Amino acid sequence: MGSPDLAEQVNLAAPRPPVPHPRRRRTARALRRLAVAAPFVLPSFAGVVVFLLIPVVIVLLLSFARWNFLTPMSWVGVRNFGRITHDYHVFRALRTSAYYVLWNIPLQTIFALGLALLLNRRLPGMGLFRALYVLPYMSMPVAMAVIWGWMFNARNGAVNHLLSLVGIHGPNWLGDIHTALPVVAMVSTWQYAGYNMLFFLAGLQAIPPHLYEAANIDGAGSVQRFIRITLPLLNPTMLFVLVTDVIGSFQIFDVVYVLTQGGPGTATDVINYQIYSTAFRNFDVGSASAMSLLLFGVILVATVAQFRFFRNRTTYDVG
Amino acid sequence: MLRPRLAMAAVLGLVVAVTGACGSNSNSKSSGGKIHLTYAMWDTPEKDGYQKSIDQFEKTHPNITVSIQTFAYNDYQPKLTTEFSSGGGPDIYWVNTPMIAEWIKDGVMADLTDKINAAHIDLSQYLQPLIDLHKYNGKLYGLPKDWDTIAYFYNADYFAQHHITVPTGLTWNPTDGGSWLTFVKQLTVDTAGNDATSPQFNPNSVATYGVDSPNEMQWGFEPFLAENGVKIINAPYAKQVSMNTPAGQQTFQFLTDLMYKYHVASAGSDLGTDAAANNSEDQALFAQGKVAMIEGGSWETSGIKQEVKFKLGVMEAPAGPQGKWTVLNGLIDSINAHGKNQDAAWQFEQWLGSTDSERILGSGGYIWPGIPSLDQTYADYWKQQGVDVSAFMTESKWNTVTWPVTPGMNQAQLDIANLLAPAYLNQESVASALAKAANQANSDLSTAG
Amino acid sequence: MRSVKYILFYACLVLIAGVFVAPYVLAIFGAFKSPTDLFGTAPWAPPHSVYLDNFQTLFNSKGFLRYLANTAFVTGVLTTGQVVFGVLTAYAFARLQFPGRDATFALYLATLMVPNVVTLVPLYTIMREAQLINTYWALFLPYALGSPYTIFLMRQFFMSLPEDVFAAARVDGCSEFRILLSILLPMARPIITTAALIALVFGWNNFMWPLIVTDDPSKQVLAVGVANLQSSFSNQWNLVLAASLVALVPLLLLFAAFQKQIVRSIQLSGINR
Repeated sequence: MGSPDLAEQVNLAAPRPPVPHPRRRRTARALRRLAVAAPFVLPSFAGVVVFLLIPVVIVLLLSFARWNFLTPMSWVGVRNFGRITHDYHVFRALRTSAYYVLWNIPLQTIFALGLALLLNRRLPGMGLFRALYVLPYMSMPVAMAVIWGWMFNARNGAVNHLLSLVGIHGPNWLGDIHTALPVVAMVSTWQYAGYNMLFFLAGLQAIPPHLYEAANIDGAGSVQRFIRITLPLLNPTMLFVLVTDVIGSFQIFDVVYVLTQGGPGTATDVINYQIYSTAFRNFDVGSASAMSLLLFGVILVATVAQFRFFRNRTTYDVG
Repeated sequence: MLRPRLAMAAVLGLVVAVTGACGSNSNSKSSGGKIHLTYAMWDTPEKDGYQKSIDQFEKTHPNITVSIQTFAYNDYQPKLTTEFSSGGGPDIYWVNTPMIAEWIKDGVMADLTDKINAAHIDLSQYLQPLIDLHKYNGKLYGLPKDWDTIAYFYNADYFAQHHITVPTGLTWNPTDGGSWLTFVKQLTVDTAGNDATSPQFNPNSVATYGVDSPNEMQWGFEPFLAENGVKIINAPYAKQVSMNTPAGQQTFQFLTDLMYKYHVASAGSDLGTDAAANNSEDQALFAQGKVAMIEGGSWETSGIKQEVKFKLGVMEAPAGPQGKWTVLNGLIDSINAHGKNQDAAWQFEQWLGSTDSERILGSGGYIWPGIPSLDQTYADYWKQQGVDVSAFMTESKWNTVTWPVTPGMNQAQLDIANLLAPAYLNQESVASALAKAANQANSDLSTAG
Repeated sequence: MRSVKYILFYACLVLIAGVFVAPYVLAIFGAFKSPTDLFGTAPWAPPHSVYLDNFQTLFNSKGFLRYLANTAFVTGVLTTGQVVFGVLTAYAFARLQFPGRDATFALYLATLMVPNVVTLVPLYTIMREAQLINTYWALFLPYALGSPYTIFLMRQFFMSLPEDVFAAARVDGCSEFRILLSILLPMARPIITTAALIALVFGWNNFMWPLIVTDDPSKQVLAVGVANLQSSFSNQWNLVLAASLVALVPLLLLFAAFQKQIVRSIQLSGINR
């Protein structure tokens, strides 16, 4: 053994801590990290578990039961689902919801995009108009529905009054099975067009202007520019707006409750209103639970379909 | 700076919430030996009569106080069911006929058979059909305290103005409407003064309609269906409706033709959503003189009398192909089977079913008393007010049907109204609407079973 | 020629603005008309004289003062909770490392797919069993512990912040909580405003849940109060319109005061799809 060199001497001099087993060290570190993060995450985690996850489990169980809050629950297996396929309530309600979505989504999207295109300029007053168009977003849907009910009143409503000034005898908007649903769709469009317009505006403003300049040089007209440049580059925004709007459309409730109560007849009896009536006016908890799961499924399918449609069309790189 | 305020808000919320949670379920507190009963009913002018009856009861029963709780008619069943389901609910409450079957099944209506026998109450003093209406499996759930039938309230001043005398022996039929349709045509007058029997009648410019045709079961189409040989259900506690028959279609066709073919009844859209007059639109039209007579039940008498400024009359409904039929209904008070004050509630129930209480209600003109021997008190009251209500009484001796009683009928009734609405609004054919209504009603009845 | 185009353009914008503003104007007119004025004049005409009785009735005998207070209280608690707990959680997801972090976040994301109505019936059942029907707890508890959507938004934002400031603070020995307070919060103002706005608008306008879980007037919120008033007094439009104004005005005032920030907040919630 020769004399240890300086480094070794230094090393030998410093006391060495015992090297713990590698796995235990990793676990200890992980636990420490967990302990640090826990107080940050626990409150919302508790909320998600108690108010989101557990209810989903409960609704799954309830959909196989029969209960009216009053008498003891009984297990009925898949009877609630079997009934749904030939219970006219549910068929009709889903169909009405589908009609509503078919009215509302195109109307809403085209209108919001149109507004964004209009306001996407550097002109004075754009900020003011933008604010005015977004006003409805802050406005309580229930209160707005009340006001629209007043405006569409067949006898002394503002809309028919205006029409009468040009000699048209306005229909009974909310009492005619053919006009009631479109009116409800229009009210919703009014409510959220400005909100969606803001997203389209952001999307439009993210399109680099040099693309348009290049297109101009190539001799493209404004329609071509719109179809070839604007629309494709808006795809991410479009996906977002469409997905959130479709999900929202299937859950419309406030306007229907106040404006038409599902009527006239069953013209505006959308699925969400039907679920509410079944659970809280008819006290058929099992059916209502099965219907909510059905709605969940429909929304899931619609969302996946939209993502699929946009999958190959979404470009994020604008190099 | 914000933190203390937040903390205070949180504490306030906590306190309010805790006291709120503790206090939400007790509704029959006894204080100092007095028993306090809650008595639930829907909003109706009869409330004043019942208050008078309660005042009398409290005098003779000084250890019991009763307070009335009212609910909007359309909310009555959901609100009460919600209260029952959280273990609460009023001690004693009105039962609307569509709810009987379900509430009995749910066990919220106390079986009073033994109590009635023990108190030796003479059930023969009441109208037998009403006793049967509130029996199930041999058990009786309450003492009938009133009855009502369906007739026509008419504008006597309008009749006088147009030199119309109230006819007797009118009949209707689905083919040509019969003498009743002719009569109603005479009542319908356009703005130029032509009535509907005249060739110059302009249906687009009607000043006053002869009658209304509401999308309502009890005081709308059920009497007409019965007179055409059609019952909503063939027997109590049936599992299917029996109104989707050719005779049923004929009846609904006639009722909608009144509005859209003969133009003698105001359009369905004037009667609110679903043409069902849920907010008394028919009474409003009648009071404004836009309709000469409206179909209605005897319980509406005081409400209508208060609203109209003309002389009010009551006319019998017409007879139909199967004779004279009307809907006879009556209510009981039910005792909450899970209530905490059932003995005191029973004392109150006995009072409400007694001649003393029913005389107060009858002689005050609130409702025909459930004890027929007291009927004259009601008729006399209205005679003094200038309204002859004997038509209701006459009809009570006709053939009668009741409102259909079977589990699921409450929901079925709503669905029938919803699905018939397009026909009543002239937006769908009667055959198609009736078929949908019957199918959905069957679905509701079979699932509620 | 140019100016004609501009005139047309602005005319178009004004017309559209008219459609957006008309309901409010009509509601204001109607709310200040007496019943006879309401049916006697055209809906587009302003009131003959300002009639304050509608509001008096609402506040004195229809309980709207209570509804207003309830709504403000519930919305305040809900918003505070969502912002506070949301910031905490989003910070952990964005800037802390801990086992199960990504799995937990995926769970939060998954709940975004669940429509509101699916949880309504079971939530009602839970509240019923806990004897919390008709209490303030029931009104805000399901929402006050944080919303996965705003947590997602805030996480996005926090992840985009520069790492070096945080690293430096950690080296200095600051606790995570100190870091959040003194470093993150000042940088996070815009997204916190967004989160607060989303919570505020949601809480104030929420209808279906309060409808189901309260029927005691002393606990009711404005949305339910307005809807009930409308169904009970459907012919008294002057009263009903006044009620809808009471429900609308607070948020409209907020919008008028903070309009720029609000517009910016909404746009912030849409980027980074």
